[in-house]
Amino acid sequence: MSRVHDMGGQTGFGPVPTGPGEEPPFAADWEARVYALAAVLRQRGLFNSDELRNAIERLPPEEYLGASYYERWLGALEMLAAEKGVP
Amino acid sequence: MSYPAGTRVRVRSGDPDHHTRVPRYLRGHTGEIVAVLGRWPLPDDRARGIVPPRVEPCYAVRFAAADLWGSGDHTVTVDLWESYLDRS
Amino acid sequence: MTGHEDEGAAVRTRRLEERLIAAGLASDEEIDGFLTRLYANASPVNGALMAARAWTDPAYRELLLADGNAAATEAGFALALSGPGGFQLRVVANSDQVHNVIVCTLCSCYPVSLLGPSPGWYKSFAYRSRTVREPRAVLAEFGVRLPDSTQISVWDSTSEARYMVLPSRPAGTGALGADELAALVTRNGLIGTALV
Repeated sequence: MSRVHDMGGQTGFGPVPTGPGEEPPFAADWEARVYALAAVLRQRGLFNSDELRNAIERLPPEEYLGASYYERWLGALEMLAAEKGVP
Repeated sequence: MSYPAGTRVRVRSGDPDHHTRVPRYLRGHTGEIVAVLGRWPLPDDRARGIVPPRVEPCYAVRFAAADLWGSGDHTVTVDLWESYLDRS
Repeated sequence: MTGHEDEGAAVRTRRLEERLIAAGLASDEEIDGFLTRLYANASPVNGALMAARAWTDPAYRELLLADGNAAATEAGFALALSGPGGFQLRVVANSDQVHNVIVCTLCSCYPVSLLGPSPGWYKSFAYRSRTVREPRAVLAEFGVRLPDSTQISVWDSTSEARYMVLPSRPAGTGALGADELAALVTRNGLIGTALV
């Protein structure tokens, strides 16, 4: 399903943020923990990688476009936790 | 494998109502298979929890920028599962 | 992103972790262990070593381009960050005729184990949207200007495969040893947004 994530060829996003130099992989601790949490849950079998991508894609468009990269992952993990019945 | 490298294939039109890995910019366009990648489970099925998922050949398919965008001299090569394609 | 929003995300993250830990679906040890392994093992030095070896060893170059997974194993690198599996590694070689550049328009697929965690620009909407459509302009923003005679080949990573560029060996490097050659191969060079 072509949601807002399907952005190949779309215009208007401006220059690539190549940045002045190298940045750390995670801007804050929580970003690293979100990334690690996704890997752990995937390995534990709570969801697979396609379900994770699907969840990110199912975020409302305004949230998808307005959130940072790891905020999208966090939103997707919260969505999957709810859908998989995590108390 | 159904299609050998060199086969010209057309990306099926129509947007499914589920997760898929066909970028919108390829729909309806024709490209050439440059590599046969392997038989892998279809993300469309895995994303919906369909067990077992269909397992299909996946191909690296090359498209000319001029066809996709109307301009440009580059190529774009995209990995596409067999059910995303028809032989051209 | 303001500090307030960041605080919100940090709180949300910890709450989610606590729920999952309470449900027995995750543990701090697993999360910490994953990150420890990530920082220790996932680095662009890995991809650089493979590329530099391909420059000096024709048999390894052939293996790298024909079977990236076997080439990674041969070099001692695991492709999976954790657990079984991992991706199919496809390495695409630059030449005078062709310059390769890698993108994932739909999300952010990237060979993390060989390049380290991806840079923010790779995950940006601008890179994801523009690279398939105007790669020459995108490369120019990275300071890369190619001759008109060089064709650009863009690879959009949509499957289990992950792509890495084998840069062209720079001229005048014949006397350099393996480590010196590997030091020339930058992370951006392995993505295609830099010449080395």
